[in-house]
Amino acid sequence: MNISAIAPMLRTADMSLSEKFIASAQVILTGFVVVFIVLILLILIIKLFSFIIQKAQQGGKNKIKEESMQQEEAASVQVKSAVTQENFDGVPEEVVAVISAAVADIYGSSAKTRIKSIKKSNGGRSAWANAGVLDNTRPF
Amino acid sequence: MEIIQGFIDAVVGIIQSSGLMTLNWQNYTMIVISIILMYLAIKKQYEPLLLLPIAFGMLLVNLYPEIMAAPSTEWLTEAQCQAQNVATSGHASMVLDGVTYYENPTYGGLLYYLYQGVKLGIYPPLIFLGIGCMTDFGPLIANPKSLILGAAAQIGIFLTFTGAIFLGFTKAEGAAIGIIGGADGPTAIYVTTKLAPHLLGSIAIAAYSYMALVPIIQPPIMKLLTTKKERSVVMEQLRPVSKLEKIMFPVIVVILIAIFLPDAAPLVGMLMLGNLFKESGVVDRIAKAAQNELMNIITIFLGTTVGATASGQNFLTMDTIKIIVLGLLAFCLGTAFGVIFGKIMYKLTGGKVNPLIGSAGVSAVPMAARVSQKIGQQENPGNFLLMHAMGPNVAGVIGSAVAAGVLLNLCA
Repeated sequence: MNISAIAPMLRTADMSLSEKFIASAQVILTGFVVVFIVLILLILIIKLFSFIIQKAQQGGKNKIKEESMQQEEAASVQVKSAVTQENFDGVPEEVVAVISAAVADIYGSSAKTRIKSIKKSNGGRSAWANAGVLDNTRPF
Repeated sequence: MEIIQGFIDAVVGIIQSSGLMTLNWQNYTMIVISIILMYLAIKKQYEPLLLLPIAFGMLLVNLYPEIMAAPSTEWLTEAQCQAQNVATSGHASMVLDGVTYYENPTYGGLLYYLYQGVKLGIYPPLIFLGIGCMTDFGPLIANPKSLILGAAAQIGIFLTFTGAIFLGFTKAEGAAIGIIGGADGPTAIYVTTKLAPHLLGSIAIAAYSYMALVPIIQPPIMKLLTTKKERSVVMEQLRPVSKLEKIMFPVIVVILIAIFLPDAAPLVGMLMLGNLFKESGVVDRIAKAAQNELMNIITIFLGTTVGATASGQNFLTMDTIKIIVLGLLAFCLGTAFGVIFGKIMYKLTGGKVNPLIGSAGVSAVPMAARVSQKIGQQENPGNFLLMHAMGPNVAGVIGSAVAAGVLLNLCA
């Protein structure tokens, strides 16, 4: 016998009115209370961790601001000298600026980072193709 | 003469096994219904990603019911085995009245096997994994109070449960019917497969139909319960949410819910795992696979097999009509309570919350949030409620999963 055949036998038709009321009230009350309690707990926890993270990040931000102001000053001096001294092999200034910005973003613009040379690559796989190959062959 | 007789026998055999002889009026009615659903999915684009496979599954099972048949065994005599080219060696046998019978296993239909993912509760959590990868919980983290609206919109589920009990359904069936009010397809399917699998076809079709009809069902209720002044409220811009908060959110939610409500853990766990894939930013490939390939494959299997549960004999019953009415009631009550709690928040915050965002608490992401945005803009074209409504909208997903956990715990 399958479930569809058994189900009608278990129907609430034979339950008295008061039993139906009790069953419904039980589910409604438990449902309301549990759903609200769980979600209110979630609200409190989200608020708490958001508060902690924001505080922590605010403290961190102030430090970073001071450091980045100093670094920016140093970097501006360095970029000026770099453009005049290094070998960029006929690469347009705009391209040099873009590459410098990308390098500064990845490695940071501290005094230790320095671009010595920018050259056009000839032949072989393009950077985009390399990125594609890497993306598809990098193991999990 | 023998050739002609053989030909006639073959033709008669084909006709006797064809749908013309085996299908009844219920199957033909369901075929018409499935074609109407296909029309709605293709022409009107009502939830086509699910309605189309559901409608086609419905069509297939009513044309060829064996496609959902479970595997079974039959006992054949030696002569029958020889006639059917079935090997007798290696098969279990028994002797009855001096005749030896051999056990011959028959295979189930294609959709029967695919349906096991629904029956065992595997597909809905996997769909939630993909949804998690696509969901931005930022608006919810920025305004956690919107979780209250997500909870309020679940009240319809529990009230509809009462309606179902008084209409003669069992507690388990009532819970499965009530969950339609959560406006969340995978959750409705998950709960129904656990509590009332025989009602799966009717409940899934009602749930997805009402989700498709959100833009038609919700606006009159929203307008009825709110004043023009309330609908015109412009809400403050949400604060930006840091990456760390977004990464911590899924972990915290899953810990909390799995501890307090383990029954909701498969759904919420997968939802949050998907979200962690997205927010962590270190497993891009997995996140993409979960929200694209995996989700699409599961959607095909889930939709087709859920549709295939709606065979004429199962679907064309008074129960289905009751489920459709109760489902609509659940949806309307969910929307109404969301808006009512929105109004309460409007009062408590001194008019800073637009009550229209409350209706988005019924899940149906992102359609319900879009409806809030649309109704808000009808009053004030410069009002952008979408991001504010996304908070209760995604809260509704969590809320309906929690409600599902409660119902599974109480009614299983």
